[in-house]
Amino acid sequence: MTTVYGAELTRRGFLKTGGALVVGFGLVKTEAADGAIPRNSLNASLPESFIEIHADNTILIRTGKCDFGQSSLYTAYQQIVADELDVPFEAITTVVAGDTDRTPDGGGTFDLLGRGVANLRKVAAYTRQAMLELAAQRFQVVAKDQLSVEAGVVSGGGKRVTYGELVKDQNLKLTIPVTGDLTSMFGLVVSGEPPMKPASSYSVIGKSFKNSIIPAKVTAQEPWVTNVKLPGMLHARMVHPATLGSKLVSAGQVDKKRFPNAQVVVKGNLVGVAAPSEWEAIQAAQQVAAATKWSAWKGLPGEANLFRYLRQDADWKSAKVNRSSKSTGDVASTMAAAAKRHSATYQMPYMKHAPIGPTMALADVRPDGTVMIHTHNQNPQALRGQIAEMLGISTDQVVVRTYSGAGHYGRSNGGNAGAEDEAVILSKELGRPVRVQWMRPEDFQWSTQSSAGYADVKIGLDAKGRIAAYEIDHYMPAMQDDRPIGAVLAGLPTMAAPSEEGSRLNSTVNGNSDAWIYEGVLNLEERAHGTWQVGQRESPIAVGLRDHSMRTPGQFQQNFPREVAISEAAALAGSDPIQFRIDHTKDERVKNVLEGLREESGWETRPAPHPKAASTGAAAVRGQGVSVMFRAGSYWACACQIAVTPATGAIAVEKITMVVDPGIVVNPLQLKRQVEGGSMMGISQALYEEVAFDESGVTTQDWLTYPILKMAEIPEIKVVLLHRPEVGTYGQGSEAANALAAPAIAGAFLDATGKAARRLPLRRAYVKELLKA
Amino acid sequence: MTITVNGKKREIQSPGDTPLLYVLRNELDLASPQFGCGLAQCGICSVLLDGKEIRSCITPVSSASGKEVTTVEGLPARWANQKKLSAEEAAKTLHPVQQAWIEEQTPLCGFCQSGMMIKATELLEKHPNPTLTEIKAAFTTSGPSPHLCRCGSYFAIVEAVQLASTLITKGGAA
Repeated sequence: MTTVYGAELTRRGFLKTGGALVVGFGLVKTEAADGAIPRNSLNASLPESFIEIHADNTILIRTGKCDFGQSSLYTAYQQIVADELDVPFEAITTVVAGDTDRTPDGGGTFDLLGRGVANLRKVAAYTRQAMLELAAQRFQVVAKDQLSVEAGVVSGGGKRVTYGELVKDQNLKLTIPVTGDLTSMFGLVVSGEPPMKPASSYSVIGKSFKNSIIPAKVTAQEPWVTNVKLPGMLHARMVHPATLGSKLVSAGQVDKKRFPNAQVVVKGNLVGVAAPSEWEAIQAAQQVAAATKWSAWKGLPGEANLFRYLRQDADWKSAKVNRSSKSTGDVASTMAAAAKRHSATYQMPYMKHAPIGPTMALADVRPDGTVMIHTHNQNPQALRGQIAEMLGISTDQVVVRTYSGAGHYGRSNGGNAGAEDEAVILSKELGRPVRVQWMRPEDFQWSTQSSAGYADVKIGLDAKGRIAAYEIDHYMPAMQDDRPIGAVLAGLPTMAAPSEEGSRLNSTVNGNSDAWIYEGVLNLEERAHGTWQVGQRESPIAVGLRDHSMRTPGQFQQNFPREVAISEAAALAGSDPIQFRIDHTKDERVKNVLEGLREESGWETRPAPHPKAASTGAAAVRGQGVSVMFRAGSYWACACQIAVTPATGAIAVEKITMVVDPGIVVNPLQLKRQVEGGSMMGISQALYEEVAFDESGVTTQDWLTYPILKMAEIPEIKVVLLHRPEVGTYGQGSEAANALAAPAIAGAFLDATGKAARRLPLRRAYVKELLKA
Repeated sequence: MTITVNGKKREIQSPGDTPLLYVLRNELDLASPQFGCGLAQCGICSVLLDGKEIRSCITPVSSASGKEVTTVEGLPARWANQKKLSAEEAAKTLHPVQQAWIEEQTPLCGFCQSGMMIKATELLEKHPNPTLTEIKAAFTTSGPSPHLCRCGSYFAIVEAVQLASTLITKGGAA
């Protein structure tokens, strides 16, 4: 055995053919509480590995993360590992992702190029050192620093050897140290400090490699989760309660004359209908639903009263108020002494993750009690923990296999996308594999949503028009409810609902999102207030409006008021909104993206509103707006040019420009596509997206009641990527890209019409109402 | 009942009122059309029926009786027939729409893209050189509903349609 920076390199024998170095892990310590079911159930002696180097010079990598349409696992992850290992991109021929029995490390699929890739990158660094160690032994040189590596070939002292030759005919294992809880939100963390390559020596990172799974997706070869079939499988549809607080009074019976092969499963308040044929299951479920009786419930404020309810009735006192660490100075006295003051409330509605295909999962609970789940999920290890908890079994009896599916933007980052637990419950009851497919209305009405919220902002300007004081209070109900809904309905064990005593992942405490960037503001108070989910405590079944983090979670809700208020303050000061922002920041990277935006977007430097701004008439008026944001190490600036037709209330975004400084641009083509897509989602959220609900439940049920952006509405788009290798961190577009458009559009609306837009979405009826006021 | 799917006659066992989508996916193992809404509102279940884009989620299989259904699985053969490619050439040639979707790296999650490619094929068979306005109209107002993409890949779709148009005009080679 040899020790390589704390990892253990062992030769377990010789092989007649093949040979490999397999890089797995040894647990240093776990964070599981005493007496809890052990959650680290992968056996480190099994061949689950992060990286395998084969004798033919091919390499396999494994990650517990899953692909959600960002391509990162098949592009950026491969590039980062290739550079850290000193091999060509093409040497990595296989990427195994997500499956709990075939991948290590777990953790939620978010922050993909930050925390997400950190494990694999570090494992690659350990592996490179192990290869140097093997080469040093073979060359019989003492110091590894006499060796160099290029494209998977180690050279030194006039000798050369490939990685493949170093492992040929051998059974090598590199065991690296890890800590953490496999089935937690964050999974395992690779520890230790192997030497990492400096960004200046990257040769694979920075190139536009294509996504290796796209050919399969466009030639109908991709094994989507929806395509998985098992022998004896039943199709099922759920009959969800009539309201978000209803209890089952009596379940309907299947009309066996019409649906001879269908059967009903009832467990607590959970009702499902299964049949061998999908069409029979769909029709039988409709028939059973019509015959099923539920108790009535009204416990929600209804969307027309949401913001009155949140301000007047919600309890913001029980959860600890978070004061931003950036809060500074003396806001009270400077605000009182201000020459001009801006004071306003900003409102963000509930929105939906709204995957284009509703949630679907296939589960097989076998006679021996083991469970296999096939799903599209962002955190399969966490799901595995939830299912084990629900059934009261150990995690090693549960396997989750993951597949491509309709992207759902954060809904399952804590383990549950919707249908998995219901499929497990039905499979256990029926003794057959069961495929649960939610219908479109259910996916709107029974899934979690992105939290609504509001913010009160006060800004005081001094006599020169600079911000002397800025005070902002963010109010948002708990945004992370990872309880599996089927388990809740069936009355089976789950994690606790969000409360003031919950941990980070089920807490009513609201947090401040990424750092404040206007450090030129000398007096700042920023506070975040939290409360229970709306209806959670009123619902007899503890459901109500369940929330879940969605793309740019929390920061979407916080950056909209922050940035719209800055645009309004700039107008009050008579300053250009880009220059006003530059004047209030000290961060060179913030200034840089804003200056880039001014050059790239066709920006007119002048104060808002536009000299020709109008709030009446049938002719379109035009305006420009800006927003800026810092998230997960990346800096973003956005400009929108819009046309508003006051008579109809129609807003058309005519051009959007995104300037991104993500640090290291790992893959320019893929990042550009991510930013384009994210910014279109952002325009969609700004103009259209809002969940409708009454006193009993969500009334949004389809794409007519939850409109999203359509192709005819896309603007001209320009994406500018600023590659900043000296920063040393990798940038990504999986988050943030969707959160820039809304405040930029609101700024442009002020410019075009002279009226402030402080509530989303900017649908026509609301815009007309705004312009009349 | 018999329908022709991707050039082959198929005898159908499912009841005639079964939506074509479930027949294709469950009985014929053709997995490219996906279930999105069951309401003809999103377009991810689209297939060509005698060359016209329809929503298989609301189309009873009986109404496809005697007609020709094309799914993404059948696009390469459809192109090969139109161009009268030899069997050898056909085996290694994707439809220009598929080639363009790969070249432009169009899919993000990709779940809607099968329907998008069907729509693009219908458009380009009628208008090999569509304008930007015609492309946007095809995906927004020409069918039972707009074709929706939650990931916002619309711009990448426009670029792919334009590239496919160029490929078709040049004869189909990438």
